[in-house]
Formats: sequence, C-alpha cells, structure tokens
Amino acid sequence: MNNNPILETEGLCKHWDGLKALDDISLKFHDRELHGIVGPNGAGKSTLLNLLCGHYKPTSGRIIHKGEPIDAIKPYAYARRGIGRSFQKTNIYPSATCLENCCVAVQRRMGGSFDFLRSRNRQQVLEEIAGDALDKVGLSARRDEVAAHISYGEQRQLEIAMVLATSPCVLLLDEPMAGMGHEESQLIIELLKKLKREYCIVLVEHDMDAVFELSDKLTVMVDGRHLTTGSVDQVRDDPRVREAYLGQGDEVY
Amino acid sequence: MLFNKRTERYFVWVFFPLALLMPLFLEQNTFYVSKLTTVMIFAIFVMSLDYLVGRCGLITLGHAMFYGLGGYIFVMIAPEYEAVNFWIYTFYICAIAAAVALVIGFLVLRTSGIYMIMITLAFAQMAYYFFSDSLDFGGNDGVFIYVKPDTSIFGLSLFDLENPVHFYYLCLLSLFNTLFFFRLVTRSRFGRVIDSIHENPGRTTALGYNIFLFRLMAYTLASALGAYAGYLFTLQYGFVNPSMLAWTTSGSALVMSILGGIGTLYGAILGTLVYEGLHFSLEHLTEHWLLFMGALIILMVILFKNGIAGYLENLLERR
Repeated sequence: MNNNPILETEGLCKHWDGLKALDDISLKFHDRELHGIVGPNGAGKSTLLNLLCGHYKPTSGRIIHKGEPIDAIKPYAYARRGIGRSFQKTNIYPSATCLENCCVAVQRRMGGSFDFLRSRNRQQVLEEIAGDALDKVGLSARRDEVAAHISYGEQRQLEIAMVLATSPCVLLLDEPMAGMGHEESQLIIELLKKLKREYCIVLVEHDMDAVFELSDKLTVMVDGRHLTTGSVDQVRDDPRVREAYLGQGDEVY
Repeated sequence: MLFNKRTERYFVWVFFPLALLMPLFLEQNTFYVSKLTTVMIFAIFVMSLDYLVGRCGLITLGHAMFYGLGGYIFVMIAPEYEAVNFWIYTFYICAIAAAVALVIGFLVLRTSGIYMIMITLAFAQMAYYFFSDSLDFGGNDGVFIYVKPDTSIFGLSLFDLENPVHFYYLCLLSLFNTLFFFRLVTRSRFGRVIDSIHENPGRTTALGYNIFLFRLMAYTLASALGAYAGYLFTLQYGFVNPSMLAWTTSGSALVMSILGGIGTLYGAILGTLVYEGLHFSLEHLTEHWLLFMGALIILMVILFKNGIAGYLENLLERR
C-alpha cells in the first residue's frame, strides 16, 4: 500500500452557531482502501462527508486532494476532481431511465453540455460508458427502466453507478445500505468488495457487521471528535470504543 | 423524432396547416387576421416563459420586462424617420436583450423559488417605472414608430410588414420556428443538463455541473426570444408603451402557460389561443368579462391535470 494519501483532512472543524459538529478532524484516505467511519448518532459522520465533497465549507482546517488544498473550490469542482459521493437519502433522477441517469454523469466529462442543437442521443460512446457503469453495479437488466419504477435497493445501486460514471478516484458513500433488507445489503457488500480494489472508498455506515467485514481501516468518531483510527481488530478491542457505544456503565436503568 | 409525443405531432399537423389557410377564409376581414397575429406573437412570448418555468424550473414574474424591452430597444437604436432592415434589427434586438438578460440573470439566479419570483418582479417593476416616468420614451403614452422596417435581403423584398396578411405569415413562421428551436434545445445535451437540474439540482451539482451557468444560459435564451416577441408586437401596432412591461403581462402569460400545460411548450400555443379566445368572446357578452373568465380558468385548471395539453395527452397517449 502506498504511503501518499489521496485525500487528507487537517484539523477540520465545522461549527454551527457555536455548536461543534466537527472538531479538529485529521484523517488520511488512501487509494484502493475502504475506510469505514462509524460512531453513534450525531457523531458528525455525515457532516464529515458533506465537507469532503464540498457541500459544506469548513469553519477551519484544510482538505487536501492529491497534495493540493481544495477547501476553497466550488462545490461542483469537487466532482470534477474525481470526488464522487452518494447520499444518505436516495438521490437520483426518478423520472429518467437508469441509462439516462448515468448519461448525465458521463456527459459532464465528455463535453458538449453547451451543445444546444444536436440530439443528446447522437453520441454512442456516452451511452456505452453509462452502460458500463450500470454493468459494474449489476443493473444492466434495468437499463431502460424508469428509475422511479425500480426497487429501493436497485435505486441505491443506481446511485453508486452514477458516481462510478463520473470516473471518480474517491467514493464517498453515506449509508449505502440504509433501509435495506439483508439480501439487498449483501448485494451491496459484494459490490463494495469489488469496488475497493479499484477506488478509495470512504464509507459511513450504521450496519456494524458490514463495516467490520469491509473496512481496511476504521475510524470511530464521537461527538464530532476523532476517537481512534486503526484496523478493524484494533478498533474492536479498544476499550474507549466500547465505552462510546455502550455508555459509561454508570447509568442505572 | 423531434416532436417526441404523439399529441404534439397531431397538434403540429392540425394547428399549423389550419393557421396557414386561415387568411384565405378571412380575406375580407383583416381584423381577425390581425387579432390572430397578436395571438401568435403572444404565444411566442408565453412559450419562452413556459420553457423557463416548466422546463428549467425558474419561476419568474418579470418576463414581461423582456417583452417590453424588445420594443423599447427598437425605438432606442433605430433612426426615427428611416426604414431599417428587419433581419439586422432582429439580430440586434435579440443580442441586446440577451446581454441585458445575462446581467440581470447573474443577479436573479443567485436566488430561487419565492425569492426569485420577488426579485424578477422587482426588476420588471423598475423597468416599468423607468419607462413610464421617462420623458424621452413618452412616459405612459410610449413611443410611436413612424416607419416600419424593410424586409429585403440583398435588395430582394419578399414581403411587406405593412400588409397584415404578410405580417401574419411572418408571425406564424416565427411561432413555428420558436417551437422547433425549443424542441431542438430540449432534445440536446444542453437540454439533458437542464432536465437534470430541473429534477434534482443538488444531484446535478454533485455530478460536477455548474448549475448556475446552465440556468443563466437558459434564462438568456428565453429572454432573447421574449424580446423578439415584444419586437414583433411593436411592429404590428406601431408603438411601444410601458403596459407591455407591466407585471400583469407576465401574470397573464403565466396563466396561459399553466392553462396550456406547463412545460409542454406546444401547450403555450393552446393556452394563448384559449385564453385570448375566451377573452375576446366574453368581452363582447358582458362588461364583467374578467369575472367569468376567472371562473372558467379556475374550472379548467381543476378539470385538466397539467393543462389542456395534459388533458389531450391523457386521451391520445393511452394505449
């Protein structure tokens, strides 16, 4: 594993009117590694992802992508640098077909978005790349179906396909298994196992079994602070983690 | 297929041939020809608004500003007693209106929803009071146009703007071209991004698009076409006055667009025809025509889901 992180945060803070949602987070994310982020509710996991993808601006601290600070660039520029994300709530174009959903993602880097006159269906290459993205997540069969009509689990897969279609180097996934049944989750787990061989993945997830199974590295956050980072086994055996999750033990029920 | 819905194809095949033949039936009655001409001109304006509201999700109450500007730009730049070339001035007016739209859009498009409605309205009202208070532009009376432009291309004069039938055909052609052009644009790759922004702006930003830029382009495009409609109106009646820029003009255009079926583009033609048809026939029956008009429109909006075009699509697209 190489030592240069692909994405890095340095003393990242996000305050909402005095409330510290995120406090001094310094993390390193490496290529071809799945970095899980866990923590109780309100630990700041989603806030962290929202900062990493440019959706929020940090109060202080830096985000470094491939050695360059990027916290000052516009939100849309993050995706152009290859930082793609999926959302906690399904975030697709429900009225378009699955293929069209991915075409929007591909077109961004293929150009021609200011071509007012020629038909959008003229470029075969674009549809091929979009089709490949659907292939990768196993949705080829749903290619021409309207996204609103496919199952919830498939919509989550579609969302990952859309991120893949932007040809990213970092995938920020916010609870991709939220609200899924066991079988659907298993499908996503298999998919992520495959994808982590190619991409740097930052995974925020509540399903502990899934996170333990998938993560190469695991970070635990509590109350907006960084608690510990290490391998799955290291984190699992850390007494502070047990404490954070199970409480101090002095509560009397 | 450019007109991708069956209903729209039927509409195009029924409406345009009929409109083409209409002056033959009304030969002795130029009043109806010029009435229909006004409807066509306004339909172009309504269609440009429909594109903004229905296709881009940019709700504006200030679109009439560009309708009025189409006329006022003409009286500003054309010499008073000299016939200018129609085609060159069409280009000038669209270009200047587009430049104005770029600047205003730059400010307006930073907001959205209800705030955008208020800001577009504010700009339009500013323009309205500027022109209605300005002595240079005749205040509330507006400005007369003494000489209509000349339509020759390389010395070849195809038609005469003073002839109501000729002018009717110019407006009909313009209306068809507007529909054709908007269809090209909605089908294009630019249209794909606009559709995406309309459906889910946050997602589109997350995919790396600068949605502000795309909205600005769409706003500029629609505004330039709105100004073209205003320019045609000015040429038809030979004057321009501030009522063209009034918010009521934007408001009735919005009603026509909703009545026709918002976002359907060809629905703008239907909406304008029905609205103006009702207006015309009720006006003759009673002094309180607005009361009945309002009631009828409320009824139609309740009965037809997504306007007249939506109703027709429901009938025709069913398999």
